[in-house]
Amino acid sequence: MQKNEEEYGGAPLSAYASAGQPSSKVLEIENLRKVHVRNNGKQQEDLVVIESVNFSVNEGEFVTIIGPSGCGKSTLLNIIAGLESHNGGDIVVRGHRVPSTGPDIVMIFQEDALFPWLTVLDNVAFGLRRKGISKSERRRIAMQYIELVQLGHFADSYVHQLSGGMKQRVSIARGLSMNPRVLLMDEPFGALDYRTREILQQQIQEIHAKTKKTILFVTHDVREAVSLGDRVILLTHRPSKIKQQYVVDLPRPRSSEDPQLHGLINIIQKELKEEIKYAGTDVGNEII
Amino acid sequence: MQEQMLETKSSERSESKPRRFDYTAVLDIAIGFGLFLAAWQAVFMLKYKPSYLLPSPYMVGERLVQLAQSGALETSTLITLERLAAGFSISIAIGVAVGLLMVNFKRFGRAMGSFCVGLQSYPSIAWVPFAILLVGLNNEGIIFVVVISSAFSMMLSTYSGIRNIPPIYIKAGRNMGQSRISLFKNVMLPASYPSLITGVRQTWSFAWHALIGAEILMASIGLGALLEFGANFARMDQIIAAMVMIFLIGFLVDKLLFWKIEDRIRTTRGLNVIQK
Repeated sequence: MQKNEEEYGGAPLSAYASAGQPSSKVLEIENLRKVHVRNNGKQQEDLVVIESVNFSVNEGEFVTIIGPSGCGKSTLLNIIAGLESHNGGDIVVRGHRVPSTGPDIVMIFQEDALFPWLTVLDNVAFGLRRKGISKSERRRIAMQYIELVQLGHFADSYVHQLSGGMKQRVSIARGLSMNPRVLLMDEPFGALDYRTREILQQQIQEIHAKTKKTILFVTHDVREAVSLGDRVILLTHRPSKIKQQYVVDLPRPRSSEDPQLHGLINIIQKELKEEIKYAGTDVGNEII
Repeated sequence: MQEQMLETKSSERSESKPRRFDYTAVLDIAIGFGLFLAAWQAVFMLKYKPSYLLPSPYMVGERLVQLAQSGALETSTLITLERLAAGFSISIAIGVAVGLLMVNFKRFGRAMGSFCVGLQSYPSIAWVPFAILLVGLNNEGIIFVVVISSAFSMMLSTYSGIRNIPPIYIKAGRNMGQSRISLFKNVMLPASYPSLITGVRQTWSFAWHALIGAEILMASIGLGALLEFGANFARMDQIIAAMVMIFLIGFLVDKLLFWKIEDRIRTTRGLNVIQK
């Protein structure tokens, strides 16, 4: 349970990839910068949201990102997914700069982003549409991933017939079915109740173990970040930079109530509180 | 725990399986019609007006049969439906096309938007003199009135329907690497179906109103003309017979066609919150 920013700096990364393969960078974020232009009545105001963020993610690694509310975590993910522009820096996937949004990087949103006019099966199959595979083949692949998230009985249901947790499982299946290099998850369990969240936290760990997917997971819940991540990246308040990175070297599957996690949770929580203090305390309660 | 979750959900699901034909709804409608006919008959029997001004349901039925036997009813109905089909489909085509242009070109959309709002509420009858001089006192003139009275409603519905798509759907579609065309065809279009179908229904209603109005003033044949002749020859039974036909067409198109489509779209998406 060490923490050290330098470890993840420019130098080649030491072998800590959870998948047990030789570590290789699949995603690199270099000097990323994002400025929002705010129209404040008459004059325009530049608001630096992200200030030179650098990190990389290894093949098969599960990285969680945490930071105070409004620090730009979601913006960061949107930029990586190609859904928002940035004002400097690079996003490199397997050595190639990301030109725009594409099937290499797939995002799972917090909101309900499933299409209500399609069944569960067709929602999951939708992501495979562009790859020029036949409809029956798309459905066959989609079905595998629906089984993976244990929703086989619900393949023909429409989205509104599912509970919140089931919807997010379908979203996860939809993301996975596209077989992306990196799966981005933007507070995917944020809107769920405590118990459902617990179950999904277990499931995503199982899925990660099975599929060895590279996952970048944003959350505002320290417990969630520590219990899920191989590594936790802590962002500062706005303009956000990386404050600290923590390796979570504990056996899986973990539960967020695992006593072994307490030490690290406390350390990160303390750091996070400090950031919230800087950011103004109005949002403090929401985070902890 | 998970099993439990699945259990409760699957029972909930079986409730919303395809619904069977609802006989009680048909019965309710039939009772409604029956009561109306009874009330009509009662008013007739009060002899409050002479029977040539207020005929009984039976007399109107007789007239309908006469008109049907002479072939006048069929000819009138068919030509009216023909005009309706032509005018309505032209309206939908123009409305959707211009609506899409309005979405694509923001400034055009803004300008056209306020124009549409004004023209949408412009009374269709007030187009008739304009149409008679510009197009002529003929079939095309009537269709012109129908189109110009209803196309703007479709433009507006298309415009607002697409602009009001929840951004998350478009984000998700882009995230899944959809091309612009696929994004439009497979995400934006289905996402806007609920408002598009409402627009189509409204357009149909505008078109139907405009058509009958235009036929009264401009046609020598058609259901509107049948009304007009009834007035000229003081044949109240014919007037009401034509009214019944006009009512029936409106009722059937709206209830059987649009309502069904709209209901299916809404049920699929869980928008039918209030269900018996």
